[in-house]
Amino acid sequence: MAKNKFFSALKPNQGSLITLAVFILLPFVVGLFNGASPAQVWTNGSGQSKFIQGLAIEIFILALYALSYDLIFGFTGLLSFGHSMFFAVGAYLTGILLKNFGFSLGATFGMIFLAGILQALLFGMVLPRVKGITFALVTLGMASVFHVLVISSELGPYTGSDVGLQGVVAPEFISPASQRLRLYFVTLAILIAVFMLYKRFVNSPTGRVCTAIRENEGRALMLGYNTFYFKLAALALSSLTAALAGMLHTIYQPIVSPNVAGLGYTVTALLIILIGGVGTLNGALVGAVVFRLLDYGLRRYIGESASFINGAVYVAIVLFLPFGIVGTWRLKSAQIRQGWERLAKLWLIGNRRD
Amino acid sequence: MNLSIFFRKNLMLLAILAVLAGLFAAAANGMESSDFVITLLRGLSVGSLTFLVASGFSLIFGLLDVLNLAHGTLFMIGAYIGWTVYVRPDTFVDLLTPLALVFSGFMLGDVWTILSTRSLFAGGTKRVLPWAGILVSALILVGVLRSYPVSIWNPEDYAQSPVSISYLAGQGQNILPPPAAFGSISPLLALAGLLLGGLLLAFSLSLFNAGKQAVSKRLGWRSFAGFGAFLLAGIVFFVFNDALTAFLAALNTNWLFLTAVTVAVGAGIGLGALMETTLIRPLYIRPIYQLMLTIGLSAIGIEMVRAVWGRPEFTMPRPELFAGTGEACPATSLSDWWQYHCSTMILLDGRIRVYNEIFVPIVGLVVLAGVWMLLQRTRLGMVIRAGVQDREMVEALGINVRRVFTLVFALGVGLAALGGVLAAPSIGLSNMMGESFLLNALIALAIGGLTSYPGAALGSLLVGLLQQFIIKYGQIGIPIPFTDIIFKPTPPIVPASTILLMVVVLLILPNGLLGKKE
Repeated sequence: MAKNKFFSALKPNQGSLITLAVFILLPFVVGLFNGASPAQVWTNGSGQSKFIQGLAIEIFILALYALSYDLIFGFTGLLSFGHSMFFAVGAYLTGILLKNFGFSLGATFGMIFLAGILQALLFGMVLPRVKGITFALVTLGMASVFHVLVISSELGPYTGSDVGLQGVVAPEFISPASQRLRLYFVTLAILIAVFMLYKRFVNSPTGRVCTAIRENEGRALMLGYNTFYFKLAALALSSLTAALAGMLHTIYQPIVSPNVAGLGYTVTALLIILIGGVGTLNGALVGAVVFRLLDYGLRRYIGESASFINGAVYVAIVLFLPFGIVGTWRLKSAQIRQGWERLAKLWLIGNRRD
Repeated sequence: MNLSIFFRKNLMLLAILAVLAGLFAAAANGMESSDFVITLLRGLSVGSLTFLVASGFSLIFGLLDVLNLAHGTLFMIGAYIGWTVYVRPDTFVDLLTPLALVFSGFMLGDVWTILSTRSLFAGGTKRVLPWAGILVSALILVGVLRSYPVSIWNPEDYAQSPVSISYLAGQGQNILPPPAAFGSISPLLALAGLLLGGLLLAFSLSLFNAGKQAVSKRLGWRSFAGFGAFLLAGIVFFVFNDALTAFLAALNTNWLFLTAVTVAVGAGIGLGALMETTLIRPLYIRPIYQLMLTIGLSAIGIEMVRAVWGRPEFTMPRPELFAGTGEACPATSLSDWWQYHCSTMILLDGRIRVYNEIFVPIVGLVVLAGVWMLLQRTRLGMVIRAGVQDREMVEALGINVRRVFTLVFALGVGLAALGGVLAAPSIGLSNMMGESFLLNALIALAIGGLTSYPGAALGSLLVGLLQQFIIKYGQIGIPIPFTDIIFKPTPPIVPASTILLMVVVLLILPNGLLGKKE
């Protein structure tokens, strides 16, 4: 009976569990395909598996970043064009603290936490004054100021100005070179933890109010909610997550390009959640996978003019998957299930005749 | 009495304008009068170009609620099309026939709707048919166009790349290559293939809408007239191809430039109408995906421009009227300039380029006045203004808002293309020109008020002036009062300064300087 209960608890989560298992086994399976034994993979032998781990780490970081954007845009309905600043502050602060000030990883994380809260407060300052597209433009302004700071030559010794931040040595125990498998699992664990936290947040009363603000802010106000605090809470959580993603980015990448502070990187987050489906947490994950793999595959096999196909894919997604991959899947899943059942029936009938 | 109410209502706006005027006066104080005049005129020039992008963007955003992020790319495409007509008229003439023939099929829209409602097929066939039609027509068109002779440059080969063609044209040594000849395909077959492909494509596309719209059973003569006109035009262009090319090539560059502007604006209007009717229209119910669509289209546009015209930057030679050099130049007065067509002239001790700093701002003013008249004095303008206020109400009054949407989108893109082709001789052509102008236009609109037409003009002017003054002060430096330090703004501060101005204005007046209060 107890066993039954255990399995019945597993049943509704089977999708996420299978995904989790796939990602845990991924490095080893890829290793096996390329003739590297799991032991070799475990000891971080170089090979295809290590490369795939790197790609997956990038996807996890992008997914974290996209999740954070989905929270403020997809759930709370705040269109921000300055989101890349959250990420870039995390990335640059980590690099500067580790490199120039010799902070330990824990202390750096503490500072990142503080910086995340401060950024949310900064964006929160303008929240009551500007709404809608104007908020997007004001946040774009703040992010651009940060971008100019990052590329200014006066701060060159710290930020590396145009070239980007380089020479950051990640702590030995999660170094992307010698301990990549560990970094892979650490990133995966952080992504899962953040995902669960987000799921909890979105389904909590606070999260529900956030959704209500997206749907109709006036009505939420009338019901007696001080919408400002709810928006601020969503911003704070989002900012923290993005800063954390930025921190992982600095640890993984040998060089942090100033582009991560630009408008283009915010657009990346927007595209990812549009691909996956706005307002769905799974969508951010699926979108990150699709976005990164598409980008990587096209660049590798087509080369320079890859963004043509990229653009065409975006247009196709908009036209044929009207609510993103996950959103459309949810709408159509009943139909798809019916289709499968019909197919299964056909197959069964065919078998019976034999 | 009225004045005091006006003061009280617009206190913040007046305060901001006073601060800006003060800054402007301070800026004027810090430099010599020649520098000041040059900077002022440059600011006006950049402001005018920004205005051409911003006004279209603002019209589209105000009426359609579409944030058209491809607007900068369309600005760039306008520039490249203008360049083609101006420097390589032979390519342009060669392309006219295929375009007219393919497009003629789309003129028969009414016929296709009536045909598609007679459902000859049912179920699965009906769903597959349009796709099959598109595939077949695409195959036909690609097959024919591959061997259709179009004399074109080659960005891969330096001697034939747009860069060297532009250089030679600037020296007045532009020699058009001999016209390309039909090789593997007979001319008659090619024309028939193009026509057939166009007809099939139009029919297949109309099948998607089968049964979704009301159809009048009577066939108007208009669609047949349109079809006939395009068919005739295609054939005429084909027969008189060489003559037309020779005519354009021998044309005075002033007239050729005017032709280039007209063609670029026409192409912009056509592209805009096509984009709205096919891609934007299905998305009015889920506005946020318009962002993704326009980002995708923007990427496609940039890549296509790169594939056809290559990546390197190049310039477009200025028309004769603005390209004169010689002993009498630089001109000292307007009449002097008119006599010798100097490229530069002396104004208050400053040496300015006539095209960039006089002609472009004048065109900007003319467009400002023209569109203002259109908005204020015509019936269409009335509908547009009403639509910006309340779209549903206009629809309820029985006005075909759909058609107005298409018109406004086409007009907006046409304005962007005009900006592009005007910008080409002054700032040159590059793959990235669209993005920077789009950002400038967005900032200008936010400063002036997102959906306000005069706001677009004011914002663009402020953005242009601020940028140019910061660039100028980057060269001469600002002495900081009471110290010996001379502060020189570095290049990244130029875009940041306009963005900062935007943030300050938006925090004080969330709707922009001239935006309507909600």
